Amino acid sequence: MIRFHNASVTYRGGVHALKDLDLEIAAGEFVVIVGLSGAGKSTLIRAINGLVPLSSGGLEVNGVDVPALSRRGMRNLRADVGMIFQGFNLVNRTSVLNNVLMGRLHRVATWRTLLGWYPPGDVELAMQALERVEIVEKAYVRASNLSGGQRQRVGIARALAQEPQIILADEPVASLDPPTSHLVMKDLQKINRELGITTIVNLHFLDLATAYADRIVGMRAGELVFDGTGAEADAAVFERIYGRSLTADDTMAKEAAGL
Amino acid sequence: MTTALRSAAGRSAARPRKPRPSPFGLGVGVVAIALTVVTAFDWRFGTGLTFRGFIDNFGGRNSVIAAIPRADLDQMFSARDRGAFLDTVGIAVISSVAGTLVALPLALWSTRLGAPYRWVEVTARGIGSVIRSFPDVLWALIFVAAVGVGALPGVLALFFFSIAVITKLTADTVDGIDTGPLEAADASGSGHTQKLRTAVVPQILPAYASFALYAFELNLRASVVVGIVGGGGIGSRLEFFRNNYPGADRWEKVWGLVVMFVIVVFIIDRVSIALRRRLV
Repeated sequence: MIRFHNASVTYRGGVHALKDLDLEIAAGEFVVIVGLSGAGKSTLIRAINGLVPLSSGGLEVNGVDVPALSRRGMRNLRADVGMIFQGFNLVNRTSVLNNVLMGRLHRVATWRTLLGWYPPGDVELAMQALERVEIVEKAYVRASNLSGGQRQRVGIARALAQEPQIILADEPVASLDPPTSHLVMKDLQKINRELGITTIVNLHFLDLATAYADRIVGMRAGELVFDGTGAEADAAVFERIYGRSLTADDTMAKEAAGL
Repeated sequence: MTTALRSAAGRSAARPRKPRPSPFGLGVGVVAIALTVVTAFDWRFGTGLTFRGFIDNFGGRNSVIAAIPRADLDQMFSARDRGAFLDTVGIAVISSVAGTLVALPLALWSTRLGAPYRWVEVTARGIGSVIRSFPDVLWALIFVAAVGVGALPGVLALFFFSIAVITKLTADTVDGIDTGPLEAADASGSGHTQKLRTAVVPQILPAYASFALYAFELNLRASVVVGIVGGGGIGSRLEFFRNNYPGADRWEKVWGLVVMFVIVVFIIDRVSIALRRRLV
C-alpha cells in the first residue's frame, strides 16, 4: 500500500514538481502514470523510494512513514522497492550477473561485496531473476555487449533480484523501439501478475498505457488530472492530461508505422 | 542556392549577435605574454636571469660535457651497478604498489559523489593537497633525515609521491563517470561502500590501473633524484661517482651509468605503455 497525502515537491529554483497530491495505490496493482515531460511523473516515482524527498505532506509506503525515515530506515525501505530506469543504469564495464547482483547488495555483507565474493544463495537468486526475463545465457557477458532491449531486461532482473514488494519503472521503454517496448511491458505485466508485485510505470504513450495498465493515473503540471481504468481513458481524458486533443503523433502505433 | 535555406515563414526572431571574447580570457593572454617578455629582458629590477646569461653559459668548455663521448659503458656490466639497478626497480615497484592501494580510497573519498559525508570529502581533499604540494625530492630529504640513508627512505618518498599522482588523476576520473549506476545502487538500498565498489570502481578501473603504471614509470625516473639525496638505488651510485670517486675518470663513469639508466627506463617504459594501451 502506497499512500500520498497532500504531498508536494518543490525543487530548488521554485519548480513545483508535485502539488498537493493525494493518491493511493493498493498492493498488487499495476498502475501506469502518463503525462508530458515535466508533468511530475519521475518525481512521483522517485518520492516513493525516497530518491526525491517531499517538501511537504505525507507519504506512507507499506506502513512506513517515508519522510520520517533515517538513513538506515531508508535503505531498508529501498531494499523492498525495485527500480527500473529509462537509461537502464547498468554498469557497462562489468558482467550482466554482477549488475543483477547489485539488487542483492542490501542483503550482502560489505566485506563480501568488496571482494566480489557473493554468497551462493544470492548468486542463485540473481540467476533465477535472469531466467525469469529469459536472458540467463548472457550472465557472464559484459553489459556493454547487449542490445537496448536486453539491457532493459537485465535492469528488470536487477530489480527482481531484490525480491521486492514494489517495482518502480521510470520510462522503461523510452529508449527502446516499439516491438521491444511491447516485450518489456509484457515482462512487467507478467511479473506483476505472477509474483503479485505492485508495479508502477511511467509512460509517454497513452496507447501503451491503455494496453497494459489496470489503472491509469494522468499527471499534468504536478497535479493529478485523471485516475481510472484504461477503458475510461478516452479522448476527453487525453485532452485533460496533454492539454490538447489526441493526434496520431501521441501513440506508439504511429511511431512504429513512421519508422 | 542560399535562398533555399530561408524559412518559408519569412523572418522569425532577430538573430543573436556574436558574443565578444571574454575579458578574462583576453586578460590572461595579455598578462602571460607580458610576463614572458618582462622576465626575458635585462630588467633593472630583475633577478639577473637573462637570455644573455644563458648564452654566455653555453660558451665555456666543460669537463663534464667533454666526458660524454668517453662514457664508460663497462659500468653496465659491473655487478655492483647491476645490484643498484635492481634496487631501483624494486624501490619503484614497492612504492608504486603501496601508493596505488592507498590512493584508491583517498581518491574516491575526495570526490563529491564518492564521499559518504561532506567532512570526509573535505578531509580527503585536504590530505591529497598536502601530499601533492611536497615534491619528490622533499619527501626524500625528509625521510633520509628521519630514517637514515638507504632504500627505505627512497621507498617512503616514492610511496607518497605515488599517492599524490594517482589520487589526483583517479579523482578526476571519478568526477566524469556515468552516475546512472549510482542511482541504481542507491535505489536498491545498497550501502555507501558497496555502491563505490559495484557502481564506481568498475567504471574507473582501467583508468586507475593505467595511472598506477604511469606512477611506476614516474617513480623509476624519480628514484634517481631520490637516490642522489640518499634514497638508495642507482641514484646513490651516481652520487658516489659524482662526488666521492677518487679517480680522474669519474664523469666517464657517471655517463656510463646514465646511458645504462636510459636504456633500462626506455625498455620498462615501452612495456608499461604497451600494457596501458591495452587497459583503456
